Amino acid sequence: MEAADRAMRRVTEGARFVWLFCEAGYTDRMLHYVTDLDGKLEFARGVVPESGEVASIAGVVPAARWYEQEVHNRFAVRFNGSTDHPPIIKSPEQDAEKLRRALGDEVSTVLYGPVRSGIVESACWIIETAGEDFVAVHPSMFFKHRGLEKRFEGATLELAPFIAEHISGVTPSSHATAFCRAVETVCGIDVPPRARAARTILVELERVHQHLDSLAKLADDGSLSIGSAQTFAAKERVHRLLSEATGHRFGRGSICVGGMRSDIFGALRTAAERELDIVEREALSVLRGLFGTQSLLDRLIGTGRLSRETVQAYGGVGPVARGSGVVNDARLTDGWLYAPLDAPAAIDLNGDAMARARVREAEIRQSFRLVREALDGSPTGKSCVDQERIQGKGRAHTRVESPQGELLYFVHYDEALVRVAVRSASFANWPLFVPSLPGNIFTDFSFIEHSFGLVQSETDR
Amino acid sequence: MSNWIGRGLRRGILTTNYPFQGEAMPERYRARPIVFPGATNEHIERGAAVCLSAAIQRSERGAIINMQRCFQCGECARIAPEAFTFTNDFELALTGDSIEMVRAELRRRTRALGRSIHIRHVDCGSDASCEQELQAIFNPFYDANRLGIFLTASPRHADILVATGVVTHAMVEPLRRTYDAMPSPKVVIALGSAASSGTIFADDDVAGPVDRFVPVDVKVPGTPPAPLTIIHGLWVALGHVTAPRPGAA
Repeated sequence: MEAADRAMRRVTEGARFVWLFCEAGYTDRMLHYVTDLDGKLEFARGVVPESGEVASIAGVVPAARWYEQEVHNRFAVRFNGSTDHPPIIKSPEQDAEKLRRALGDEVSTVLYGPVRSGIVESACWIIETAGEDFVAVHPSMFFKHRGLEKRFEGATLELAPFIAEHISGVTPSSHATAFCRAVETVCGIDVPPRARAARTILVELERVHQHLDSLAKLADDGSLSIGSAQTFAAKERVHRLLSEATGHRFGRGSICVGGMRSDIFGALRTAAERELDIVEREALSVLRGLFGTQSLLDRLIGTGRLSRETVQAYGGVGPVARGSGVVNDARLTDGWLYAPLDAPAAIDLNGDAMARARVREAEIRQSFRLVREALDGSPTGKSCVDQERIQGKGRAHTRVESPQGELLYFVHYDEALVRVAVRSASFANWPLFVPSLPGNIFTDFSFIEHSFGLVQSETDR
Repeated sequence: MSNWIGRGLRRGILTTNYPFQGEAMPERYRARPIVFPGATNEHIERGAAVCLSAAIQRSERGAIINMQRCFQCGECARIAPEAFTFTNDFELALTGDSIEMVRAELRRRTRALGRSIHIRHVDCGSDASCEQELQAIFNPFYDANRLGIFLTASPRHADILVATGVVTHAMVEPLRRTYDAMPSPKVVIALGSAASSGTIFADDDVAGPVDRFVPVDVKVPGTPPAPLTIIHGLWVALGHVTAPRPGAA
């Protein structure tokens, strides 16, 4: 297929493979190959021939593998030449198959999941091990597939942002912003500055609480109970600020197509005037504590190392990529933030769990700065465009830098929602989890997992 | 080297006294939707029309809100403020008849164990926020450990099963098997509105709410329920306080 060849050519010329998804119409299935060269996205489209067979590009572009697999499982497109690997969308038959493999193999194979200890999301790893070291790890995901992309189809524009918020309940503002901006692009709407400021504040506060969550879990893994408790307490303060301003502890139900559902900028400012200083002080204080505790750092340094080349080959995004010296930050390229961002908070070249934690630390500081800039700008005027202006037809895509990394939404709107496709940062980063494990030992698993800080529900959708 | 203990001491006690003393969520917090008595039909219709999870049911005297279906989006109160509003009353848990018996048995056992209880969590298909809020009940602001509530890694040690999220097809079996692995008596809590009723999820894309697969004793509505709401739900499960049945106004 020409689109696939074009994407492959761009990748060999140095572009990053971003996404492959399928749009099924009444009569045909269309594949969209998305690549990114120097921050500019390119969509190459092609119709799947009647045979339903397309040449795989995963051999040349490893990052395409998971996407090909998902398109195969959901839209029955066959990718010829792709190596055989277990389907990533769950079906009951696979359980038996995996169990058989687990029992009959010479290398000891451990099924870890989908129900694991502690409060964790459901996902399964098939771990091949020879004692203490990881030999190979095969992810088995999509236990939580809830058909949310399909749920968008035919949904009203009032309901749709709530569906986006259900894709990841911990980063609802990133998802709602990305979805709404895609529809706004179709309709040719620019949201008022006051709404842009409010969205910036919500998305950046989201980054603060999710990064603190990741660091608190790392501290817990390192048996640093007090440090972990205090980091969770710092996170709680962000939720309290959000619930005071928006009425929801994660800021849900605030964003709509065209702007904000209600004028919450004033409430955000009032709550911030009272609390932001202490929220920031507490957050920075625990960060100083965490990075001053050698027993924790010893567990992070050198753990789960990812080379720059691996990250590039698998198309990694977000703090995981920045921790390995690969910079892609949607905030630098897609300037919708209230105050423009011209440099990433931090780039680390070490590629280990420590580097990812360092990147998060720097990003927390930067997010507080962005929140303050949006608050100080104090734009006046309306918070939402007139409802009559929300009309149009066409396809559009947007990206937003969610706490986990680059989040993409593709929307086909034609008086009703025809197709919404979501490429979450977690989906893009899970394939990197696999090469980060070999060479480490069992007890490093949770450190590596939490240093990635990914959300299963936005992966499975 | 960081001085964590000194740092903690300098901050004093953060922990709430709830449920022994009252606690308030912020004024704006959307916890419980209510219908104003005497709201006109027209206003109720307008609010019910924008309810995305069909939580508002018409009745002779106006409307009844089915709390377990509500996902607290706030649209009814935004579109029809004459008829609907949200209060910050976070004690949302609902319970059924069956719980009395389980409770009595459970109490007998936990008394022997010094009244501590252990919970096992299963994610059936949540949006990840329920997990983080369940985690939050153990942070210094809420400190569920002071109430004798602990997490356990093994279903064999568990007294309470906390299930989050609407149950997906792939999670039906893991949920059943976790339930079966727990010793009796066991209490099941459906945490969150999605786990309680399925809210906005399409029926054929997911398997359904938790009570379709295992008996549920307490439902804790909320998307996600706040940590205080979760603690209240656990307190209801233990029989320290009472709660209305699902469907009651």
